[in-house]
Amino acid sequence: MRAVLQWCSAVLAVVMVPVLGLRGGASGGTAPVAPGTAAGGQNTTVAAFPVELPVVEKPPAQQPPVGLPGDAHLDKTPPRATRGLDLVKLGWTYNCMECHKLLPARWHYDRPMVEHQDIRLEHGNNRFCLNCHHPTNRNAFVDYDGSEIPEPDVVLLCAKCHGTIYRDWKAGVHGRRNGYWDTRRGPQTQLRCIQCHDPHRPAFAPMKPLPPLRYPPRAAGSPERTRTARNLHRP
Amino acid sequence: MNDPAATPGPSRSLEEVYKPITRRTFLKGAAASLVGMAGLMAALRPLLELERGEITLEQLLQKHYRELTPEELNRILRRLEEETERQHGVRPHIRDIRPMPGVEFAYALNLTRCIGCRKCAHACLRENNQSREDADDIEMSYIRVLELQKGAINLETSNVYYDPERVPQPDKYYMPVQCQQCRQSPCTKVCPVQATWQEPDGIVVVDYNWCIGCRYCMAACPYDARRFNYKKPTIPPEAINPNQSYLSNRIRPKGVVEKCTFCLHRTREGKYPACLEVCPTGARVFGNLLDPDSEISYILRNKRVYILKEEVGTLPRFYYFFEK
Repeated sequence: MRAVLQWCSAVLAVVMVPVLGLRGGASGGTAPVAPGTAAGGQNTTVAAFPVELPVVEKPPAQQPPVGLPGDAHLDKTPPRATRGLDLVKLGWTYNCMECHKLLPARWHYDRPMVEHQDIRLEHGNNRFCLNCHHPTNRNAFVDYDGSEIPEPDVVLLCAKCHGTIYRDWKAGVHGRRNGYWDTRRGPQTQLRCIQCHDPHRPAFAPMKPLPPLRYPPRAAGSPERTRTARNLHRP
Repeated sequence: MNDPAATPGPSRSLEEVYKPITRRTFLKGAAASLVGMAGLMAALRPLLELERGEITLEQLLQKHYRELTPEELNRILRRLEEETERQHGVRPHIRDIRPMPGVEFAYALNLTRCIGCRKCAHACLRENNQSREDADDIEMSYIRVLELQKGAINLETSNVYYDPERVPQPDKYYMPVQCQQCRQSPCTKVCPVQATWQEPDGIVVVDYNWCIGCRYCMAACPYDARRFNYKKPTIPPEAINPNQSYLSNRIRPKGVVEKCTFCLHRTREGKYPACLEVCPTGARVFGNLLDPDSEISYILRNKRVYILKEEVGTLPRFYYFFEK
C-alpha cells in the first residue's frame, strides 16, 4: 500500500513539473522566491506569482454592475481587480468543485500548493483555506455550525468576525452605494465586501493618484515660480 | 451783538483760502474721472453688446430666476440650449429641477477611508462641465483634496498639489473640501445683487445670468469653495455632459462665479452626486437629513462627526468623521 502511494506521488510530480516550468517561463525565466506568509513559523517558501497579468473579467453573476448605466462618464470601478490568466474565454466557469471533488479537504496545507499560487494569505489570524471555505462544497463558505453560506451571501461570512462593520454596511455607511439614494425613484446598488477587498489580503493596495489641479502658472506662490526663486538665491 | 464773523481769526494766506488748482490736484482729479469713466463704460458695456447684436434685448432684460414665470423660464432654457449648441457644438438638455419637498441634503466624509486618489475632483469636472482644456487654464473642480500631516488637523500646512507615486502616504491623511452648503452662509449674505441664495433643500445656488462677477462671495467663503470663470469655458464637445440644469451644471458664461451644488441635477432626481459615485473606498456618504432612516441620519446619530472651521459659525451641512 505504501509503495503504491509513493508511486502515485512520483507520477504526480512528473505530471506537475511541466506545469510549474510553464509558470516559471511566464514570469520571465527566473521565478523569484518570497518568504511564505501563510504558514506562520514553518520554513516554507512560495514562488511569487508574475504580477503583470491582465485584469480578468469575472462572469457577470459574480460582478454585478456598479451604479447606473447612464453614468458612463463616471469611472465607478471598484478598487479590487482580479488579475490572472483570462480563463473565462477558455470555458472556465469558476466552479471550484471541478477540481476539488478530486482533492479532499485538509485543515492544514503545506505550502506551496500547486494551484492558487497567486493567493497571498494576509488576513489576520486566518491561516488556512478552511477558515472560510466550506470543506465539502468549495463553491460556498462555512458558517459557525459548519453549514454552508452560499457565495452570493459572502457578507454573512465576513460578518462572523467584522460585526460592527457589517452593522455599518447594512446602514449604508461602510462601503459603497451607487445609483439612487431615493430608492422609491430608482434602483440602488450596494457593493459586497469582496468587490472592494481581496478577502485573502483585505487591506487596500496604495494607488496612483489622479493628477493635481493645475496651479495658475504665473500666480504668486506657484510651485514653478517658487522653484525659480529658490534657484536664484542659490550660488 | 458779538458777531463771530467779525472776530479776527488767525490770518490765512490767499492760497490757503482759495486752494487754487495745483498740478498735483489736477492730476488726481483727472485720474479719478478717468477711472469713473472706465467704470461707467464697463457698466454700459451690455448696451454696446446689445447694439452689436452679441446679446438680445431679452437676455439683457432677463429677470431674476426666482421671479421668472414657468413660460419665461421655459423660453430661457430653450434659448440657452440653442446658445450652447452654437458655441460648443452639442445640444444639451437643460432643465429646471425644483427642490423635493421634505428633503434637506447633507454630506458626510470618512477621513479614515479617504486615500486621496482625487477621483472625486476629476469626476466633478466631468459631471459639471467645468473649463478644463487649455494649458493655461485653472482647473475648476469644486473639490480640493488637502494632504495633511497625521497627528493634527492643520489646514495651514496642508498641500493641494501633492503628487506622489502612490497614495495614501504612510504619514499623511487626506481631506477633500468642497462647498459645505452652510446654514448660515456668508457668501449669500454679501452678494450685492442676490444672485446666490439658499434653496429649501439646503443647497446654495447661483443664478449665472444674474451674477455680476464681483467675487464678494469668494472673499466671504471660509472654505474656498467658489470658482470664478476668468475666461470663456473651453470643453471639447465630446466631453460635455448633456444632462444639464439651469442652476447647476449648464456651461457657465465668462465672468460669473460658480460652486458645488451637490450635483442638484442628479440629487433632486434621487441619484447620488458624481463625487460619491466614483469614490473607490466608499468614504463619502450622502442623504436626506430629514429622513430618520437615511445613511446620513445614521451617521449623525452613531458617529462622532466634526465640522470644518466650527468657530466661524457657518453651521455647514458637510460633516467629517473618522471611522474604521
